[in-house]
Amino acid sequence: MADARSRFRHHRRAWVRHAILLAWTFFIVFPLYWMVSTSFKGAGEWVSWPPHWYPHDFTIHNYRQIFTFSALGEELSRDATDQAFSIWKALGDSLLICSVASFIALVLGVFLAYAISRFAVGGSKFRHIILTIRMVPPIVIAIPILMYYAIMIPFTTEVLFGTRIILFDTYFGLGALYVATTLPFVIWMMLSFIDEVPYTLEHAARMMGAGRMYTLRRVVLPLVASGLVVTYLFVFILNWSEFLLALTLTHPEVTTLPVLLNKFQSASEGRLYGPQAAIGTVITIPVVILGVLIQKHLIKGFSFGMIRK
Amino acid sequence: MAEIVLRDLVKRFGPIAAVAGVNLRIEDGEFLIMVGPSGCGKTTTLNMISGLETPTSGEIRIGDRVVNDLEPGERGLGMVFQDLALFPHMTVFENIAFGLRVKKTDGAEVERRVKAAAEAMHIGALIDKRPSECSGGEAQRVALARTIVNDPSVFLMDEPLSSLDAKLRLDMRTELKHLHHRLRATFVYVTHDQAEAMTMADRIVVMQGGRIEQVGAPLEIYRRPATRFVAGFFGIPTMNFLEGEVAAGGEGDGPAFRSTRVEQPLSASTPTDVAGRAAPLGVRAEHVRLVPSDDGGGRVTLTEPLGDETLVFFEYGGAAPLVAKVDPDSPLGPGDPVAFEFDREWCHLFDAEGGARLN
Repeated sequence: MADARSRFRHHRRAWVRHAILLAWTFFIVFPLYWMVSTSFKGAGEWVSWPPHWYPHDFTIHNYRQIFTFSALGEELSRDATDQAFSIWKALGDSLLICSVASFIALVLGVFLAYAISRFAVGGSKFRHIILTIRMVPPIVIAIPILMYYAIMIPFTTEVLFGTRIILFDTYFGLGALYVATTLPFVIWMMLSFIDEVPYTLEHAARMMGAGRMYTLRRVVLPLVASGLVVTYLFVFILNWSEFLLALTLTHPEVTTLPVLLNKFQSASEGRLYGPQAAIGTVITIPVVILGVLIQKHLIKGFSFGMIRK
Repeated sequence: MAEIVLRDLVKRFGPIAAVAGVNLRIEDGEFLIMVGPSGCGKTTTLNMISGLETPTSGEIRIGDRVVNDLEPGERGLGMVFQDLALFPHMTVFENIAFGLRVKKTDGAEVERRVKAAAEAMHIGALIDKRPSECSGGEAQRVALARTIVNDPSVFLMDEPLSSLDAKLRLDMRTELKHLHHRLRATFVYVTHDQAEAMTMADRIVVMQGGRIEQVGAPLEIYRRPATRFVAGFFGIPTMNFLEGEVAAGGEGDGPAFRSTRVEQPLSASTPTDVAGRAAPLGVRAEHVRLVPSDDGGGRVTLTEPLGDETLVFFEYGGAAPLVAKVDPDSPLGPGDPVAFEFDREWCHLFDAEGGARLN
């Protein structure tokens, strides 16, 4: 009797739990669904009321529009933007800047985190101070950086070296800033992984004659491999979706996807929700693929405590 | 070969002197065990020998070289760590091979030496496993094999057995002793377990507060502890201590120890200058004789049969109860009145202030 009642209570609790989780999942997934479904809707359906919950008039028109290589054809140009944008250039720029900047931040961050973890560089509180860099809203630094990139650095270099070095609207300029802004996250995340590698492992390696770099390469880095992967993905996503700095510091040469997304507007029709949704979908795909590929590491990395003695 | 000499070794961490002036000569081929409570400086001393810690001052000599400025890997030492420090991402084979790989040893040679070391430690079958798949005892052997394979002349061991269960620890003690005999290398071993020190060591170094309290063979330390600390640290159960003073022998029968409740005649060899001084007396349980008696002043509170002997705890009116080792068939039980007497040849007198031995 008591057994049946406790089983009933157990079942009811499981039901409630699942109901809450389902509702939450719906809440989270719906915008994604809306984005994907809008990307397959024709212009008339984007903002129709009552909403079209699915594309009534299924079309890949939006994708054709964003993937077009050349100038837009007759049938496309009518509802396209005033300028002819293609996603290919932006996709390439984004991939290049984000993958390289994330990688450089990762390499620098690992060594910095190692030094902070092992030698308490900067004192015992330094590890907490690092993140305060991120307390500054990006908008606060965007304009001053623009001043430097567009005026101060070109002017100074011209005076000093006779050549104007312009960082505005360059891969290096935006990439360097991405390295700087994500470095605190890399350090912070890698610290928690490196802290977990017992120092005696390195002592043991040292006793057997291994140098610091050899020990890092053969002992420490393999043990934090999952952490490296997770951190890289995290930083990559940060850079991949960064909008404000890219908007402020590039134009017209370098364009990243989030900036391109915003450019899909037309004078006659305002925001072009269909192409924007299509770009949004396209932007999401590489991250999802990356996530699936490194799933094993993600689970290990996010669960931390990965080194069992 | 590899005699180790420590001269005036000091290690400070900020204002705290973890090691406060240690002088020690470790003979070649000796099994030396440093023992003491946690924080006594034994591990710091070991780490300075290994090179993992840099001395604040003093000199470390291994063989005929001063090694203060040498990297740990250049000192020709092997070390087994408390947590074993096996590399979790490598197989047992790669763990053992690590040191050889660092030295860029030829592949066939690595294969041969790793196999030999694994066979010697009876872990030949584990070679392809990960450390996490090994039991505690197996992991211990892997750690030893990883050290042996590099053929060091000195083995440093930092409480290597502390993670094992009691039974396995006893087995490994025997095995380590065999290993020492076989390799004829110098072993420097750190532990807080006095029983471990007693059973394995050729010589024991007892440390406390960053200083050496006593150096000697196990039995010497057990029988003639140099300080009250050493006397209390070694032996199970802990040595009995009574506060009191030494009275000069006046009634024709030598000096005696007096406390409020006890009058204990002392050996005739007791130095005469001790007379008249306050001096705690220490006596081990096996040197306390108990006889049932109604007017002896003692009363049994507790008995602990150990099988081969029985510990009897009794009150006598002093600060702490005393303990005696008696025959397991002794009829004594809690509440029984007893008379007690100490073997006068085995009474230890200590200085009331510094704790140094007086007799």
